[in-house]
Amino acid sequence: MPEPAATAPGGTAAGPGRVLVAVYAVFALAAGARAAVQLATRFDEAPVAYLLSALAAAVYVVATVALARGGRRVALVAIVVELVGVLVVGVLSLVDRAAFPDETVWSAFGRGYGFVPLVLPVLGLLWLRHLGRTAPGTPAGPGR
Amino acid sequence: MGAMNDTLVWSATAVAVVVALAGLASTLARRRIGLVHLAAAAVLEVLLLVQAVVAGAALAGGERPPETATFLGYLGGAVLLPVAGVLWSRTEPSRWAGTVLAVAALVTLVMVWRLVQLWEAPGA
Repeated sequence: MPEPAATAPGGTAAGPGRVLVAVYAVFALAAGARAAVQLATRFDEAPVAYLLSALAAAVYVVATVALARGGRRVALVAIVVELVGVLVVGVLSLVDRAAFPDETVWSAFGRGYGFVPLVLPVLGLLWLRHLGRTAPGTPAGPGR
Repeated sequence: MGAMNDTLVWSATAVAVVVALAGLASTLARRRIGLVHLAAAAVLEVLLLVQAVVAGAALAGGERPPETATFLGYLGGAVLLPVAGVLWSRTEPSRWAGTVLAVAALVTLVMVWRLVQLWEAPGA
């Protein structure tokens, strides 16, 4: 990514964080492209599912940018939304298959993507918590 | 045969695995990435570019995968990913640069095989 490397050492995009940003960027791209194709070619078939697909893409984009630029609070919010999203859509897609006729990134807890969408927010939260502990200047946020 | 050349696909697979292993090895050895990583990534990129030209020629010749837009998306993504991976890992001064490169290589590998699927499967 041609991101200006403006992150101080120990920031959200340094060390393991850089790996996290890379994976998030991949998902931002994958989810975004998928949602774009779904919305452009067959929006009428399942508008709700495809809008959720677009929401997922937006969440990944926000998380990627926030992690890359060191915006911990925004990253935290995005990652929590992501975790809730993958859990809710995961359950719904299994319970009510008719509502999710086409695979989205979060369908069946991200099965189509090797369950990485389920693991990723957990790693993200662990990483933010780790940063909050090592650099107490700016805590990741209350309660987490 | 189609647009996905067997030799190119398997070569890209092998080189992507080499890049991933080299990246993980440097992380485990607590070292930054070196010339080996960059050279291997460059070979991968060349293979992908050749494959893109082959696919482009097939498309220009009138052959079409079931989902042409998706195919083109994956093709463009696969070509750009090793470059993005190298750029993003080169600015990382720690041992994690290797893992970044490994992630990029593995995702590229998945995308290449997805391209094969998209070309062959009727309406994946």
